[in-house]
Amino acid sequence: MNNFVRSETYARARLVSGTIMIVLGAMLLVGMFRQAGFDWKGLPGYVLGLALIGLGIVRYREYVLRKKRPSS
Amino acid sequence: MKNAPEQPSLRRAVTPWGSFAWGYSDVGADIFVGLGLVLGAAAGASNIAFLFAGLVYVCVGLAYTELAAAYPVAGGGQYFVLRGLGDIFGFIAGWAVLLDFTIDIVLFAWSCIDYLSKLMPVLAFTIHPWTHFAVVFLVIAGLAVLNVIGVRESSAFNEIVSGLDVVSETAILFFGFLFAFRPEILLHTMSLNWPTTFNLMNGTSLAIISFVGLESISQAAQETQRPASVIPRTSISLILTILIFALSYSNLALGMQPWTPIPVDAHGHAQALWQYLGNEENNGSAVSVLASLIPYYGALAALYVPLLGAILLLISSNSGVFGSSRIAYAMSQSQLLPSIFQRVHKKFRTPAVSIFVFCGFAIVELVFAALPSLSHSLNAIYAHAFRGEDGITFLGDLYAFGAATSYSFVFVALVALRIREPESPRRFKMPFNIPFTYKGVRVEFPVVAVIGFLGITSILAFTMITHLIGRIAGPSWILLGLLAYLIYRKRKGLPVFRSKAHAWRKQQVQILRDAGELEMMDEYIANIKATDALRGTKGSA
Repeated sequence: MNNFVRSETYARARLVSGTIMIVLGAMLLVGMFRQAGFDWKGLPGYVLGLALIGLGIVRYREYVLRKKRPSS
Repeated sequence: MKNAPEQPSLRRAVTPWGSFAWGYSDVGADIFVGLGLVLGAAAGASNIAFLFAGLVYVCVGLAYTELAAAYPVAGGGQYFVLRGLGDIFGFIAGWAVLLDFTIDIVLFAWSCIDYLSKLMPVLAFTIHPWTHFAVVFLVIAGLAVLNVIGVRESSAFNEIVSGLDVVSETAILFFGFLFAFRPEILLHTMSLNWPTTFNLMNGTSLAIISFVGLESISQAAQETQRPASVIPRTSISLILTILIFALSYSNLALGMQPWTPIPVDAHGHAQALWQYLGNEENNGSAVSVLASLIPYYGALAALYVPLLGAILLLISSNSGVFGSSRIAYAMSQSQLLPSIFQRVHKKFRTPAVSIFVFCGFAIVELVFAALPSLSHSLNAIYAHAFRGEDGITFLGDLYAFGAATSYSFVFVALVALRIREPESPRRFKMPFNIPFTYKGVRVEFPVVAVIGFLGITSILAFTMITHLIGRIAGPSWILLGLLAYLIYRKRKGLPVFRSKAHAWRKQQVQILRDAGELEMMDEYIANIKATDALRGTKGSA
């Protein structure tokens, strides 16, 4: 398991899943905003969308750091 | 003079991924138990209940991340409270967490078998209660043995299944939002099915059950390589991951268009998806039912999600065994519990006594929870004594109480440690701090900790208001433990209400050296000298 987690395949899989999360989060934000606008009932959807984008960015940053420092 | 034999210590065998997996394995499973319960209570505001509890959890997570990276020891929350607020508060926090972890062992082993019973009806609690009881008992005993054999073995087990679970839950989320989620349905459901204030408070107190688990990652800190750099990295991912899953499931439950019609209820009335998931028949396996209703993916999900749920719940139960033994180990080292709890197995170097004692407690709780179903005469007594609450619901009440109590103390401890130990290097800090000077030294006041404290004490208040039995049994657990603590401290000749002398600075240097954080150690020693010079005191490091 640890060997897999250190592998390039794993790093790329994280990058792909991170990208999907950013896209999904953006789609959710747009979809919710079109229906809810500034209604507070849209809040859980907005937070979820932002969290998805946030996690996607974390994964993307991890990938970039890994490329810079392959041993980390 | 002969040197005393060296006390065997916990080995640092947990990797970054292992550290994430320990935390994830605990929290990832919580939603499998919590979703149906929250939907049943908070109805159309379930996503709001999860959002409130989730945001409080983010604050808790940030607090644990800062403290676990600065003080990488096995005690987790109880150690931070002990160090920040003193012995007696450290005991109370640790005792509350121990309550949570022993319940964690039973609750999740029990639910694990419930999920498995979807594939193997012979295990169904309602049909074969004795078989169900026996299998849960064997699961707890098996986990105890696995944990005694060693953290690397049980950690490897966690790592593999956590990886599979993350992939699978991400797939549910992805297909659910892509093919079935409709924002207009979500808003319509929220408007039409908004609960009463009491039910919303009840739902929110249950939702915190879905966010109990960062305790595990802070405990794994003592067994993690280079914790100051690893813990913040894994914690941020963990916090976001669990927040996403909890919000996703609750939003999907309220705003999803199922691909097959929802069956009518027992009275022949049509029911919405959230009602179907939150009813008695499905609330124990709400995630697997929800997944099976997702277009295209649902057919596959119906086959494996019950098994996935069972595995997740099993590793969460395992986290309970791991967590309780490590807390007891740390509390014993601090003389909050008798020294027997810090005995480490000579061959495996794991806290074997603690593991067996707290698994023993878990077995007692299992018997308590299962008795009404095993004996009809006891069922009537329980119904009268516990006002109709069954054993598992009672354990759920206590679970929420223990988590809210210990988290409240951790926030106060974080503020105290920021002020009392500004010299301690922190590789990660909670955001939004107000700098000020205290006794000649610049310190930072954590605003987010205050927000988190207000949030978690609100949830504690909701628990006390809405859970009839939990409001009595929770404080009773604390008071009985406190009584035992006072007797133990008096017999040992230790300060009963005050704290004994702790060589925190010396201990911190040792902790950082053991963790391999030598840069931090040097920085800490330099900071001590600078702080003492500013305050005009003599250091002890």
